[in-house]
Amino acid sequence: MVTATADIREPFRWTGMGYAVPALLLLAFFFVLPVLALLLRSITEPELGLQNYAELFATSTYARVLFNTFLVAGVVTLFSLLLGFPVAWLLAIMPQRWARIVFAVILLSMWTNLLARTYAWMVLLQRTGVINKMLMATGLVSEPLPLVNNLTGVTIGMVYIMLPFIILPLHATLRAIDPAILNAAALCGAGRWQIFRRVLVPLSAPGAAAGALMVFVMSLGYFVTPSLLGGTANMMLAGMIAQLIQSLLNWGLGGAAAFILLTVTLAIYALQLRYFSGAAGTAGGR
Amino acid sequence: MLLSYDRLGGLRFGLWAITIAICLFLLLPVLFIAALSFGSSQWLVFPPPAWTWRWYGELFADPRWLAAAWTSLKVGALVTICSVVLGLLASFALVRGKFPGRLWLKALFLTPMVLPVVVFAVALYALFLRIGLSGTLIGFVIAHTILAFPFAVISITNALETFDKSIEDAAILCGASPWLAKWKVTLPAIRLGLFSAALFSFLISWDEVVVAIFMASPTLQTLPVRIWGALRQDLTPVIAAASTILVVLTLILMAVAGLVRKVFAK
Amino acid sequence: MFKKLSIALAFTMATSFAAYADDLVFTSWGGTTQDAQKEAWADPYTKASGINVLQDGPTDYGKLKAMVDSGNVSWDVVDVEYDFAIAAAKAGLLEPIDFAIVDKKEIDPRFVTDHAVGSFYYSFVLGYNKDVLKEEPKSWADLFDTAKFAGKRTFYKWSAPGVLEIALLADGVAPDKLYPLDLDRAFAKLDTIKKDIIWWGGGAESQQFLASGEAPLGMFWNGRIFAIQQTGGNVAASWNQNLTAADVLVVPKGARNKEAAMKFLATATSADGQAVLATRSGYAPININAKTRMDAAVVASLPDAHSEGQINLDMGYWAQHRDEIAKRWYDWQAK
Repeated sequence: MVTATADIREPFRWTGMGYAVPALLLLAFFFVLPVLALLLRSITEPELGLQNYAELFATSTYARVLFNTFLVAGVVTLFSLLLGFPVAWLLAIMPQRWARIVFAVILLSMWTNLLARTYAWMVLLQRTGVINKMLMATGLVSEPLPLVNNLTGVTIGMVYIMLPFIILPLHATLRAIDPAILNAAALCGAGRWQIFRRVLVPLSAPGAAAGALMVFVMSLGYFVTPSLLGGTANMMLAGMIAQLIQSLLNWGLGGAAAFILLTVTLAIYALQLRYFSGAAGTAGGR
Repeated sequence: MLLSYDRLGGLRFGLWAITIAICLFLLLPVLFIAALSFGSSQWLVFPPPAWTWRWYGELFADPRWLAAAWTSLKVGALVTICSVVLGLLASFALVRGKFPGRLWLKALFLTPMVLPVVVFAVALYALFLRIGLSGTLIGFVIAHTILAFPFAVISITNALETFDKSIEDAAILCGASPWLAKWKVTLPAIRLGLFSAALFSFLISWDEVVVAIFMASPTLQTLPVRIWGALRQDLTPVIAAASTILVVLTLILMAVAGLVRKVFAK
Repeated sequence: MFKKLSIALAFTMATSFAAYADDLVFTSWGGTTQDAQKEAWADPYTKASGINVLQDGPTDYGKLKAMVDSGNVSWDVVDVEYDFAIAAAKAGLLEPIDFAIVDKKEIDPRFVTDHAVGSFYYSFVLGYNKDVLKEEPKSWADLFDTAKFAGKRTFYKWSAPGVLEIALLADGVAPDKLYPLDLDRAFAKLDTIKKDIIWWGGGAESQQFLASGEAPLGMFWNGRIFAIQQTGGNVAASWNQNLTAADVLVVPKGARNKEAAMKFLATATSADGQAVLATRSGYAPININAKTRMDAAVVASLPDAHSEGQINLDMGYWAQHRDEIAKRWYDWQAK
């Protein structure tokens, strides 16, 4: 293990590595190993070969599920970004006492049990739910809107969950921008819109990109919300993996679907590490 | 000017309008669930025909809900300890260590955060069945520790990076052993990071449902598993009552956390 | 500190294993039905044998298979759908029933095989909300008539006996010509109302849809309609061409407490056990002597009272074609 002297000065090649060993062992045995074993099943069940992957790509349903997964993740990321940006912006500059309240609201929603929140949306959004009743009462619509068991339901439920994950890193980035830069732009004669587009947006881009990637990756693998708020036509990869394994008992095909999800996720994660590692830390850390 | 609150002009009202709308959006389900839990309709008709405490009565009369809460608490506490201890050690390696592949190691440590939970859940379940850990407390703790660990690493490395190591070295020069120096100097200095790590670890375990569904056994069900089962089987307003209590607990926890932060920061 | 912690961990590990050693684990679908099963079967069983029965659920076929495959089976008795039991027996996932312990003579021969005994049986019926609908739907064809009966209709979500048969009956197929199922025709019929369908995944969900008016009509387990009526909901059922299906009890291969499990099955299928369950749940008993021990009013509400025009879903057919139908079913649903 680590000796005292090595710890403080010796420029030994493996200095400090020992501290990581317990965590490394835990992850190796209970994280890396089982995941690899699952992936192995995708090429060994029911027999050795790539037939599970062939089936996955040849069947139109699975292709549609794949498309759905990216569609939902994309739509959710877009809405989270569009709605989150103004909030993060105001949050970065508003007086402390107000900011504290807005933060409390964000944290309260984020910390409330995920199932409880999803359950609330199930009841709120149904045809006979409060939102439809209100819309009908105000005469805005003549018959209930289909808000749940479809893409709309999934989007509302997931944007709701993801908003904090985009507001918090964006807020951190926006706070770090020196207002003097914007003032300088104004002195040089730039208009408001120009400053917004040419200065503020580019400067906040790293935080936005980090948050957006985070949200996108999290959305790709989401299971609970789509399965409770989506319809049968909105199945996503995670739901399909669960169905393949739980209802159809097909570990091979399930493993293959898991492999695809895993590859895409890890690729995006690598991208994030490569380009936005600083901001990504903020995203997860807050 | 765009980053100065007082000089935003008309834009300020636009931003405020959006922010208030989003805040209402974020609060709506939380408030609604509380209202629903007092509604008398068994079939979740809202507004309900009458108001009642009945669902809270049923909740507290059912030992399974209390047992689930107790299990959640036990698992959460053990996960918090494991994840903070492992996270602290790992953070020392990541921040202080000088060895090849350090960044790769960090990437690996953070992977459980991004890996789709359902993949992890299914994979770990298959392994646990084989080695007899499925449905055991220790299995739960291992699974949740892995999920919570990245958040502990992030919180503690952040704190450790801002801590000036020369203070610790000074203590050692004054005759403290390296372990004593860490215990007496470094740990107190990064207590806020440790606190965040503990808080996150606990919350992640407390709120986790996907892995828990696979790990659960008749003797060991966490609160989210119980809610999930009830959602699929009963849909009774008791779920709303349980959820409301969880919201209240969250509020209390937030208040306590805020207080602790204040005390720690002094 | 670490020593203490590891002792604590070892201790909890030991106790969590110990919980399994003698107890019997019964797994079913949760909700009011499992509560009834506990009261009707588990409680008297524990009283008589001293063996504690732990309740688990919901039933999950993936978990069941994974347990048997790994040889680490923590479920002793499982409530499953009949067609799954037949397929699972063929796949070698189940223990044979010990008929030295379970009395086969008392069980309705429709609901017993070498590897499974009936749990209860039920009918799919056409349920509707009288507050919402002005007219009463009378046949499965009405369920597909969106002009006459506006609004959403709700159907069972999972691939299982029932929905396809209803579609064919609604399309005019004679009851004795149902099998082998004409899948093309069934899906084509379902396509005509697909956008008006809300799927229910569990009994409670179906009740919520119907009682709240979210879907004013649909197909339901008869016991669930009975339960809404009990709580004062203004709903009714049409029993015309009601379709019977059954849940059965099985013992997974390699179950830890095989003998205790067989004794549990004996209690569960006994006339008393079945009578209490039927009274509590509104589902029908599979024990031929159970009815003599039940209230006449309850007996009148059971599927047996509606045997005219009743159709038995063909579990043998389903067991054989389970996988291919499931595949097509989920494909079609996801479209």
